[in-house]
Formats: sequence, structure tokens, C-alpha cells
Amino acid sequence: MTTRREFIQALGATGAALAGLSACGGGGGNGSSGGGSTQPPIPVPAAPILVVVNIDGGWDWLNVLPPNSGTNLGVYQAKRANLGITNPTLLTDLGGGIALNHDFIGMDQLHALGRVAWIPGIGMPNPNLSHFTSIDLWGQGATVPAGNGWLGRFADSAFNPSGDVLRGLTVTSDLPVMLKGSNRSFVSIPSAGGYVFPAYLFSGATMPDATLLEGGWGTALNATSIDPGYLAAAQAGRLFFDAQNNPAFGTGGSIATRTPTVPYPGDATYPVTKLSTAPLTSSLSNQFKLIAQMIAAGLPAQVFFSRLSGWDTHSNQAVDHPNLQRALGGSIKAFYDDLSSITTASGNAQDRVMILAYSEFGRRVQENNGGTDHGTAGLSFCVGRAVKGGLFGGYPDLTNLDSNGNMKFTTDFRSLYATVLERWLGQAATSTDGLLGTTYPRLGFL
Amino acid sequence: MAVLTAITTWTVADVQHFARRAGFGLNAADAAVLQAQAPGAAIDAWIDGLGAAYDTTAFTAALATADVVTEPLVSANTAVAGSVDVPAVPGPHPFLVEGANAWRNNLNTAQALCAWRMQHDPYAFQERMALFWHNLFATGWHKVNNAALMLKQFQLFRSQGLAKFDDLLVAVSKDPAMCIWLDSVLNNASGTNIPNENYAREVMELYSLGADNGYNQTDITQLARALSGWSFTFAETDYIADPASPTTKYPADGHFKVYDGSAISPDTRLWWGGSATLSYAMHGTGTISLFGQPLDITSTANGWAKGENAVRSIVSVRGSNCAQFLAKRLLTHFVTTGYSAQDLSDVAAMILSAGFDLRAVMKTLLKSQYFFDPANRFALAEGPVSWLVRAARMLCPSLASANGQTPKGYPAWRLVMNGTTTLDQLGMKLLDASGPNGWKEHTGWLNSNTMRYRTKVAAALTLAETRSSSGTTYPLFPTFPATDWFSSPPATAQSVYDQLAARLQPGPIPAGVATAWLTALWPSTFTWDAASQTKARELAFLILCSPSGQLY
Repeated sequence: MTTRREFIQALGATGAALAGLSACGGGGGNGSSGGGSTQPPIPVPAAPILVVVNIDGGWDWLNVLPPNSGTNLGVYQAKRANLGITNPTLLTDLGGGIALNHDFIGMDQLHALGRVAWIPGIGMPNPNLSHFTSIDLWGQGATVPAGNGWLGRFADSAFNPSGDVLRGLTVTSDLPVMLKGSNRSFVSIPSAGGYVFPAYLFSGATMPDATLLEGGWGTALNATSIDPGYLAAAQAGRLFFDAQNNPAFGTGGSIATRTPTVPYPGDATYPVTKLSTAPLTSSLSNQFKLIAQMIAAGLPAQVFFSRLSGWDTHSNQAVDHPNLQRALGGSIKAFYDDLSSITTASGNAQDRVMILAYSEFGRRVQENNGGTDHGTAGLSFCVGRAVKGGLFGGYPDLTNLDSNGNMKFTTDFRSLYATVLERWLGQAATSTDGLLGTTYPRLGFL
Repeated sequence: MAVLTAITTWTVADVQHFARRAGFGLNAADAAVLQAQAPGAAIDAWIDGLGAAYDTTAFTAALATADVVTEPLVSANTAVAGSVDVPAVPGPHPFLVEGANAWRNNLNTAQALCAWRMQHDPYAFQERMALFWHNLFATGWHKVNNAALMLKQFQLFRSQGLAKFDDLLVAVSKDPAMCIWLDSVLNNASGTNIPNENYAREVMELYSLGADNGYNQTDITQLARALSGWSFTFAETDYIADPASPTTKYPADGHFKVYDGSAISPDTRLWWGGSATLSYAMHGTGTISLFGQPLDITSTANGWAKGENAVRSIVSVRGSNCAQFLAKRLLTHFVTTGYSAQDLSDVAAMILSAGFDLRAVMKTLLKSQYFFDPANRFALAEGPVSWLVRAARMLCPSLASANGQTPKGYPAWRLVMNGTTTLDQLGMKLLDASGPNGWKEHTGWLNSNTMRYRTKVAAALTLAETRSSSGTTYPLFPTFPATDWFSSPPATAQSVYDQLAARLQPGPIPAGVATAWLTALWPSTFTWDAASQTKARELAFLILCSPSGQLY
């Protein structure tokens, strides 16, 4: 359960906790721009890979990329009297009245290299403060619910209906609406081992012939009039069966093992801790390691989906939010570095991968008693060697909030999707507009 | 139009449809017994748990030896003064997670206990309703961090799952696990403090009205103020120390209290384990405006807690919205997702008419011609916990039989759960929802990974998988095909299939698929011998894994 210390911190004693931050280092991100000078973007690779990172829970990006001058700073200081990050020693100045929180470890280095495109103020007209409505809207890529997701529609359009089973992957155990198409969905592979059919829960001897069951799934798919539950089960089973038949899954249904070349958060040698000095943990690290392993093994995936949860910081934000930033930033930086050691017939993985991070919304500017409540406009960012770094879209005007005290969006989230679909995933302009329902301005980071 | 008029006669197929949805299935013999009774009285008894068939006396007694797996030794943390080794506890023993065992805080054991109960509780309906409410009021152990309090909440769903909905909503709002889960314990609106909106938003969006259905942001803010300071305390005697590390303690129980600065009982702890004579002054004061109506949130009229009038007004003022919300959830879980707007309206009207009396609502719905419409049979994909428990009920020994065996013939549920991996990978991590919205039902249960795990669990269920733990090898699911699965020795392969299909009750399986299975399994002359019994296991596996096997 929550400890006494956490409880007291949650009641508002944030200063002492944050004061200890500099002693924790910052994964090499020491507050300077360290890590080298800005490098120009490389051309979009011939075999690009998109890695989507879902920052789940609605992240308080205002404390990640806070204002550090001008009228926005005044509002921020007034409304974030306890939780605001205003001490310049805890921030890297990005210019334009915006700073980067040092808890977002590694990101200042990637920013300094010109590898990060920041899109603050991203959102939609008529935003919804419900996690779940907003998740659906972000997933669907539409403000009118469409029932399937923007990447699912991409899969419908771009993937071979009878092949390409591993071209869209989620390393989560669920299947988010973002990845659901009308004709096909992404395959879910949350672990590198045991991807074989048929299999016991642990181990056993005799099993029926796999083709007997696959025959059932195939027959179901070929039927003409079947109900949705039956079809969904048949599709899911067939997808799993076909995926595990890929040669990349070797003996025992395992992807070839791979040792990461850099420490990730959660590894014993990782140099940054939690705020409490306890070891930093990150479920995202494991997902990124798995994705790296899959790329190295030659899985033909073009899109991966991953998730880091826990960002719904209604309370205890002074403790939880720095730890979450460290987990997210540290995992992204480690993944980016690790990818450089992977080269397949399709090229070097660091050249091929672009990370797209998004959250369903930002949080209320006015803090509550120890946390922040649901807000609107968010922060997305893309990381990659082909990315033109910098700020895209306008930073919200904190002196001009909506009637609920939330930020007004400055960039439509579908502009991000359109940019990625056309300029990273290679969809024609007309196809891109078709997938999103209309034309959205492209952003200049690709 | 949903015809909510009660049926007056029913077939065995109707009974089995009812038992799958309103419990975890019935075998042919038990279904025949029920079918011989008039449906109205039989369904009343099923829902009320009244009558010999639903007597829980033996079930309750069997809980003392329900866990067959040895609980391993817990070594003392010698860095902590007073620590001692906690010896291994050989099975069978109770599931060691509640009361004096709260210190173990073991989600694996808590999940195993719930599964055992669902498998064996003769009053299956209370377990089914608890599962339903757990999905609706989804709460997560990963934040509550107390398995005993999670089980206390689950028990609330059993005990009050058929109460009036407004009473249930209040009880859930006061539940200790819920108070932690959605931050009520940290909601401070005293003085100029700004309240935490977490619970106020979700109680309307997810638990009673539905997103944007009859409330706005102002209502959320006002309700958050009304519910500020909703928390709990617990007795010192319920603060259970880990013997192997005595500075680590967990409350085994909790009692609702509004933290308003008032005195707390001596020998009582604050929710986070602190000690004080006064609660924190966190509750707001004055009058709020909720749904446009003024409410004094300091009132304790009717014996209600401060702010309780606000929770109750969700149902009393926004009754139509609430009834529509409940109707959607009930239809999706119990009847069909293919309901029309008129169907929804009809069921919502029935809920309103019943005054939100859930017992009356469930009786009307589950007796209705609408529920028994053949179009709704096998129209839902079954959730993984229900699917697993129902298969265990059909394939494993009954409570009486298992209890009489040495060793006990219960599944090794703690091993089946594989920590908490199995239910997580199946798509319903029981007692540990990732978010307060719970799990999406019907086709939402099915993706390539959840189907992968269903096939693995199906193998464990049907193919006599074993697992070693602490030097003992356990059958994960004790099964005895020759004696338990067939009412009479099958004389043909077709008879094997027919009897297994009648037992497992999948949706319609295409004839070509079944024929292919039987041809492959029994390519030549059929003899009911040990080899055929192994083939029967494989056939059961194929049925459980098939698309039809996911429907109910």
C-alpha cells in the first residue's frame, strides 16, 4: 500500500523530493545539451519501421516541456505552485520560452542531436476529458467514432490480405482500437518465446495435429454467413497460427535471442534510479528489447505498438511523474542507441526506426492537492535519424484557456498521422487523405 | 422490441443457455433436473440461491481444504528485527490470502480462490454477478496493493450484487479498495484545496451513467467536492505483520470513514497505516450544485454519510440515464450485443420501473422471452474467466467427488494461474484491471494472443498436464474421461463427439470440421480403449479451441 512517506508527499511536500534530483544524474543527460551537436536528418529509409509508444493515462506533459519565460511562465507558476518545475537547474532551455525537464532523461541528448520533433499542443476540436473516449478518438484517427483505427485502416490498405501477417505487431497482450482494421488486425506478440501451436500451458507430451484446428479456423473464415464472435475467434486463431509459422520463430517457437548492447532502465547496470534511489524500472524497456530482438531476427514488421502506463497522476505526482519520465526517456534513449548495432538485409535499424509517442490528452493546468486532473491538448513527439528536430506547431497560450481551465489545441492530431502515413509509411497523398477522411496539413519534421 | 414477458415452458437447450449465461453451465443431468421444474420458480430459486441445489454448506466447509498446492516456505528477512521463517504449508489447506494471511498479499492466491469458488459454488449466480460487477467496477490490485482488500471488494459484489443499484453504488464508493484505487483517500477539499476529480469522474462515466450521458465537467467538480475525505480506517488487530519481515504490514480489513477532522476510535489506524486520534480534515463543507440541484454535503440525514446524498442523486436525479447505462451493460454481458435501440429502451424502462432493484431486474431479464430468443443463443463470445471456469466445471470432478478424493480432486488453481500470467494473457487479469474501465466484452475478448493462451489453457484442461512445485507433481486439472465425461461408454467416434459436444456446449460446429476431426482421430475401427480415451481428450481440446468453442 502507499507508504506514509508517499502519502505525506502526496499532500504537497514536493520540494524536498525534487531537490534530490540532480544527485541522481540523469542518464548522462546532465542538463546540458551533452551528446554532440545537431546532425542533419538522413533521408527516409527504403524499409522504414514505425514504433508507436502509447503514453497511457494522459500525461502531464506541461511538466515535461514547461514554459520558462513570458506570460505562460506566470500562469504556470500561479497554477502549479507545488508541482511546477521552474528551477532552471532542473531544466534545459529549448528557446522560445520552453524548457525540457531533466527527469525526461536522455531526451535532451536526442534533442541536441536534432533527433526529436516536438509537437506541443496537439489535440482535436471538441476534446473529451474521458480517458476512454479520448483513447478511442486518438485510435480511430477521427473525431467521429469509426469503429476501427488509423493504423488498422492502413493495414487494410497496404498489407497483403492473405499474407503480411507479421507486418503489423503489438508487443502488448491486448489489441488497441488503433490497430483494428475492417479486414485484418495486428498480431499481438508480447513475448519472444513459446510462440508455437499447439502448446501446453507449461509442458506436455502428446498433442493433436495442429492442422486439425487450423482447418477449423480456416473453415470458419471461409464461411459466408457467420456471427461476429465466431468470425473474431476464427480470425484471431488463424492470425496466431499463421504468425507462429513464420521462419523467424525457431525451435520451440522462439525468436533468436539477442543481448542488448546498452543498458536499459530495469537493468542492473543502468545508471539512473528512481527519485527514491530505488532501481528504476520500466515495462517499456522490455517491450523495446523485444522489438529490437524482432527486428534483428528479421521479422517483417513495419509497424510496432508499445505502451507505458501509469500517467494518470491525479495524486502523488511529485513522486510518480519524475519516475515515469525517467522510465520513458531512459527507455527511448537506450532503444535508440541499441538499434544502431542491428543491421539486417533491410539496413541499419537506427536508420529504419522512427518512434512516435502520444498520449490521449494532457492534464489540467491548475494542479489539485498533490496531482493534476484530466485536461485536453497534449504533447506528441517523434524520434529518429530521419526526423528533422525541433518544435512543430504552436505551444498553447496558458493565458487563454477554455472554460474548464484546459489548454486549447494548436495542432490537429491527424496532421501528425497524415505526415507519418505519407512521408514515413509511404502512402500516396490521396490514400493518406482517404485513410483519415480528409486532408490535414502535413508537419515539417519529415 | 425486447419482449420481457416471462417464458412459461422451457427445453433442456433453454436451460443450458440460461445456465451458461447466469452461471457457469450445467451438465446434461443437472439441466434435465432443472428443466423438469417450471421456469419461473426455477429461475427465482437460481437467482435467490434458495433450495437444496444451492445450499452452500458443503461448499463453505470445503474451503478449508480447497488449495491442494503446498504453500512454500517464506524465509526470514534477517535484516528486520523479530523476523522468523514461515514454514511451508502442505496442501490441502485454505487459500492463504485473507485474514491472518493478509500479509502474504498474494494476487496469485486471490485469483485462484476466486476461480475455485466460481468452479464449485453451488450458488453459481452470485459468482456470476460478482464477475459482472467486477468488470463494471473494475479495480486493480497493482495500485491497491492489498489482495485481502481486493477480495473484500469481490465479496461485496457477491453480497450486494442483487441489492438496489443506488445502495450498491454507495457501498462501492465506500469500499476501501475503491477508495485507494481512484484516489478518494487523497481527495482533499477542505478550505481552499482543490479536490481530486478521479473518482467523481469515473463513478459517473464508468459506473453509473456512461461517458457524457447526463453530466458535465461542473458536475464532476461538484461531486468531487462532495466525496472529498471518503476514506477508511482499520482496527489495530487487523493490521497484519509479515512474520518474515515484521515491519511490513497490511490491513486485512477496512471500515469506511469520512475524514472530516472528527475523532477516530482508539486502537484504530488511518487508511495508510498511520495512527492519530483525529482524522484529517479533508471533507469539503457547504452546499454544492449537482445536476443543477443544491445539496448540503455536510448533511447526515437518513443516516447517510457526508456527501452520500450526492452519490445517491446520480440515480435519483439522472435515473433515465443510469437505467440506460445499466441496460447496456446487462445486455452486453447476459444477452447480446446485437440489441436494437428499442430493445435498449425497453430494458431501461424495466429497470426504472423496478426502481433499480437489481434482484427484480435480473429476474425479469433472465426469465424473458427476449433472453431466451434463439437468436441470442451462442450470440456472445465468452469471457476468458467464464470460459475457463465453465470448462473446469464440465470436465473436472464435482465438489462432492473431488472433496472425497485423496489427494483432493481440485484443480491446482494456484499453479494454473502461473503467478498472474495466465489470466493476464487470457485477457482478464482478475482482481487487477489495468484501468477503471475494465475489459471490453464479446469480440473484445479475442485477439491473436488471447486465442493463443486459450489453446494453452485448453491443453492443460483436457490433456492431463502436470506441474511440479516444491517437490510435488500436481495435475493442473484432474480429469477422468472414462468415468466422468461419458454417461455411457461410446460405441462410435460420433458418439464420443456427441457426448463431448453436449458436455462442453460449444456453438454450432460446421459439420465438415467435426467430420475432419473424427476422421483424423479415428481413421479405422473404433474401440473404446485407453487409446481412444486419449483421442477423446484431444477432441475435447479441439472443441475448446475452435471458434465455436468461444461462444456461449
